[in-house]
Amino acid sequence: MHSLVTPNAWVVLRLPSDSFKLLQIVPNTIVSLGKYGTFSSNLIIERPYNLTYELLDRRAGQKDSDLRIVPASEIHADTIAEEDAASNPKEAEDKVVIGGDGVEFELLAENGEVIIRSNRETIDDSARQTLTMEEIEVLKREGTGAGKDLIAKLMLSHTGIDQKTTFSLAKYKLLKTKKYLKRFTVLPLDVPLLTHWMMTEKDANKILEMRNEAVSLIGSWSNVHFSESLPDTEGGRWLVVDETGGLLVAAMAERMGILHPSSDFNWEGKPEGPHREEAPPATSNTITLVHNNAQPNLSLLKYFLYDPTTTSPPCPTHPLNNHLHALSWLQLLKPSEDTTYSSQIETLSPEELSQMKSAKRGTYYRKLRRWTRTTHIVNSTLNGGFDGLAVASSMDPSSILRHMLPLLRGGASIAIYSPTIEPLVTLADMYSTSRRTAFIQAPPASFAELDDEDRGVEWQGDEDFPLNPTLVLNASVQSARIREWQVLPGRTHPMMTGKGGAEGYLFTGFRVLPAKGRVEARGKFGRKKRGDDKVGAVVKGEMVGEEGVKTSNTEMAQDTTEVKSEDLEMAGL
Amino acid sequence: MTSHSSPFLHPGAIAKTDRLSIVHLKRDLQTPTILKDHDEDDEGYSEGKVVNTRFGSFPHTTLIGLPWGAQVRASKVDTGSRGRRGQKQEKKQPQEKKRKRDDADSTEHPNKRRDSENGDVAISTPVEGKEEKEAETASSGFIHLLPPTPENWTSSLPHRTQVVYTPDYSYILHRIRARPGSSIIEAGAGSGSFTHASARAVFHGYPREADVNGTSKEEKLGKVWSFEFHEQRHQKLEEEIKEHGLDGVVQITHRDVCEDGFLVEDQSPKADAIFLDLPAPWLALPHLTRSSPPNASLGTSEAGTPAANGKAEASTTPFLSALNPTKPVHLCTFSPCIEQVQRTISAMRKLGWVDIEMVELSQKRFEVRRERIGIDNGAQRGLQTTPASVDEALARLIEVEGTFKTFHETGEKVEGKKDKGNPNNREKILESLVERKVYKEGNLVHRCEPEIKTHTSYLVFAVLPQEWSAEDEEKARVKWVVKIRTEEGQEGGEVIGISRRQLKKAARQAQKDKAIAVTATANAEAAEKGTEETLEGGKEDKIEVE
Repeated sequence: MHSLVTPNAWVVLRLPSDSFKLLQIVPNTIVSLGKYGTFSSNLIIERPYNLTYELLDRRAGQKDSDLRIVPASEIHADTIAEEDAASNPKEAEDKVVIGGDGVEFELLAENGEVIIRSNRETIDDSARQTLTMEEIEVLKREGTGAGKDLIAKLMLSHTGIDQKTTFSLAKYKLLKTKKYLKRFTVLPLDVPLLTHWMMTEKDANKILEMRNEAVSLIGSWSNVHFSESLPDTEGGRWLVVDETGGLLVAAMAERMGILHPSSDFNWEGKPEGPHREEAPPATSNTITLVHNNAQPNLSLLKYFLYDPTTTSPPCPTHPLNNHLHALSWLQLLKPSEDTTYSSQIETLSPEELSQMKSAKRGTYYRKLRRWTRTTHIVNSTLNGGFDGLAVASSMDPSSILRHMLPLLRGGASIAIYSPTIEPLVTLADMYSTSRRTAFIQAPPASFAELDDEDRGVEWQGDEDFPLNPTLVLNASVQSARIREWQVLPGRTHPMMTGKGGAEGYLFTGFRVLPAKGRVEARGKFGRKKRGDDKVGAVVKGEMVGEEGVKTSNTEMAQDTTEVKSEDLEMAGL
Repeated sequence: MTSHSSPFLHPGAIAKTDRLSIVHLKRDLQTPTILKDHDEDDEGYSEGKVVNTRFGSFPHTTLIGLPWGAQVRASKVDTGSRGRRGQKQEKKQPQEKKRKRDDADSTEHPNKRRDSENGDVAISTPVEGKEEKEAETASSGFIHLLPPTPENWTSSLPHRTQVVYTPDYSYILHRIRARPGSSIIEAGAGSGSFTHASARAVFHGYPREADVNGTSKEEKLGKVWSFEFHEQRHQKLEEEIKEHGLDGVVQITHRDVCEDGFLVEDQSPKADAIFLDLPAPWLALPHLTRSSPPNASLGTSEAGTPAANGKAEASTTPFLSALNPTKPVHLCTFSPCIEQVQRTISAMRKLGWVDIEMVELSQKRFEVRRERIGIDNGAQRGLQTTPASVDEALARLIEVEGTFKTFHETGEKVEGKKDKGNPNNREKILESLVERKVYKEGNLVHRCEPEIKTHTSYLVFAVLPQEWSAEDEEKARVKWVVKIRTEEGQEGGEVIGISRRQLKKAARQAQKDKAIAVTATANAEAAEKGTEETLEGGKEDKIEVE
């Protein structure tokens, strides 16, 4: 996986301007990098990933460039030289170098010699470049050295170059490098990079502005990992609600080892024709996706060569074929109203089949396969026992949980992502300590009249308790965000600008199984106290538990009394 | 034991004997426990092994066999008399009988004092071959029994060093591409939180006895190569890994990697990903190269780098790289100080690492609560009796003014309608919850939790691409023949990676150039135009496919 660029693989080309290009590298084609030039795709096929190439100057009469691999030493040459210079200072070693980005300080040595120029005399004028637009254009077209000559000329013909401070000089060079240097880096397309690309260059809204931080957190908190059944232990199955075009499914599949087709998968040996053996749906290490529309939107999975919508899939042996089980909300909640599920295909005898025309027989088999698959997926999903739930959806999370919670086994991890915090705050409030206490103390009549057995599954909530507050433990909301830094000799600081937009939040919790019957709890008491009325403003749960108790039916759940004071004061849960 | 699986990776449906489980008391208060059906250490409880919490005591026998996530009531356990027993009992009787707790017979003794409970319990001076007592339900509280995950392990593990927390390790493992089947080096295992998380990330099956030496198989299974230079921490972690059933996935070596590198018994871990949580990562980096490093590159500027050491190694044995030779290797270092970052990155640049990026990660957890403001809510403790609105403030002022007036004019003291009773006693709170539904009142607000981790460490990411020699390139060029389009020729394939707008612009520009250039014979021009059009048509087709 991801050692050499395989023919027809999707790769990412990173340009000097830090923009990305997603391309499927088809053999014998020409890759165009816009103003940087064009080159033959065969020049990067079966070459390692993460290499940086330079577009060489076109030979006379040729339209495309040849490539040269830029060694890492060359990439870092400038910085290393700068560092070496800094570590062997010729004058005034004890001076501190202070460097900011906009403001620079004038540092004088003891003899009054200027060590670092300040930006006092710099003239904020772009017109100090003596090369004209036309001259630059000519240089761009005819220049050599993959833009390096042009950059050098630009720097030389800048009238104020000697007045520039070290910092502004470095900045100027970086600016021009990004604009003119003809280099690119080939990167493998995987979930972190796809997320980054969607966030920065494509439509961030399509993936609900789900950053890499959020993607990784969802994975951890829904405890998704490779988990195939063992002889004596069942493996893992995960439930997903994904409205990010398949990004969440891809992220989970990557963690489960079922996203990237095995590297020995060969394009050339792709079997022709529709006839192929369909692997039976896997029973463990699976993702069960519940989707809103008749068909799931998994458009981003095409970059990983999985496309369930076509009849000629790009990779017939893709592991997602039998590890991804998709069903609609209709199939989950009202299977009888779903046409595919409810119209059983009659099994035909071999004689009947042999009398059919081949096209008709094909249709029959296709329908039968579809029906078998759907029935299997719907029935196994309804059986429940899932190990985790991951959600990235714009739907009301409580409506999702109402139907998903009964399908989760005890101890299952729940992770719900939302670009904004409000839906998650509302959800967390449904599991607040005070609400749970009220529920335990006085369960709603509609709940109380159900049998113990059915309660978990059947009760659909009411106005006061939209969800059964005893089914989720440790409901909490969090977020994580990275801050990028520039690390250069003497110029280390956080990036000046970044991307705004939604922050991205995560609700986490565990599905639990409340004990049957009344649970009472008073905490463990070291001392006993008398006199309810004398108790001061801060009332400890234990005291409440011990005193002022008439009968057992006023006993509170232990953590309720414990947290009660905190709850009113601070603790959200 | 044939079934050698880890509760982290395969928790199964129920809690089993000898497997780790998490006793969840409340948020941020969880106790990891290995369930035992008999008391090996013989701590003197008549119920066998017992977990003692602030919410009561829980004999293991009441936990074993329960489904994960189950809520468990505390049991009455005599914790007082066991201190008086003899130090060591000679024989331990393994207890075969498993007792499943019976929820139905939860005898309720709600008002019993603890001292009276003590009276209930049989005198538990341990006797040889004692029968473990059947646990009896107490009303002191309950816990939830959870399967272990790297997340709840991280929040409950015994701290030995600074812990790598969930947001950090999640992001790191995501960025360094630790996936099922990867081989990952972790240096500076510390308390083991990252060890557990990375084991989950790379796990791709347990090694079977047969193919321990089958290198190709092992590579596919995924492995954590963990290094720890602190002897006690290493021992403790090794025990934990064994207890957690992860010893097939994690291999721990006691070593200072800065001195001795990453080869384990002269075998290369063939790492795809590396995580360095070391005080001086730049000293470990020279051991993470593709080929024997020319020591000159390091020796000159970096004082104190073990360049000499590397040289000595190279001279004795042929160089063996600790990295996977056929993949780009992703690295992350975890350092709290910016100076460490600068030195690390400087060393990385010299050693050929590319895509060097430094980030810091900040995590916030939020408290969600109801904020009730208003005079009517004043009865609740902890709430200020501030008016909710100007109207309420005004009404209050008028009321006060009226009372004042009455008092001055008539000398009558207006009866305060204040409820003298403590508003926070149990009944009142319950009443407010059940009758008034205060859980629905007020504004729903959220705020950051009171204590936040403002800085954990700086994360430096870098990639070391696979080596690619001139010969490799030569071979690839023979296999994949490069066709370069010439100005005149029409061969060459489709152009990819260009947008429709750019294409049109390019075509227009080309046409313009030609119009200027071509002032030659008329028929030559016509021929040229024809080719141009066909070319453009081809491009258009391509775009529509996209």
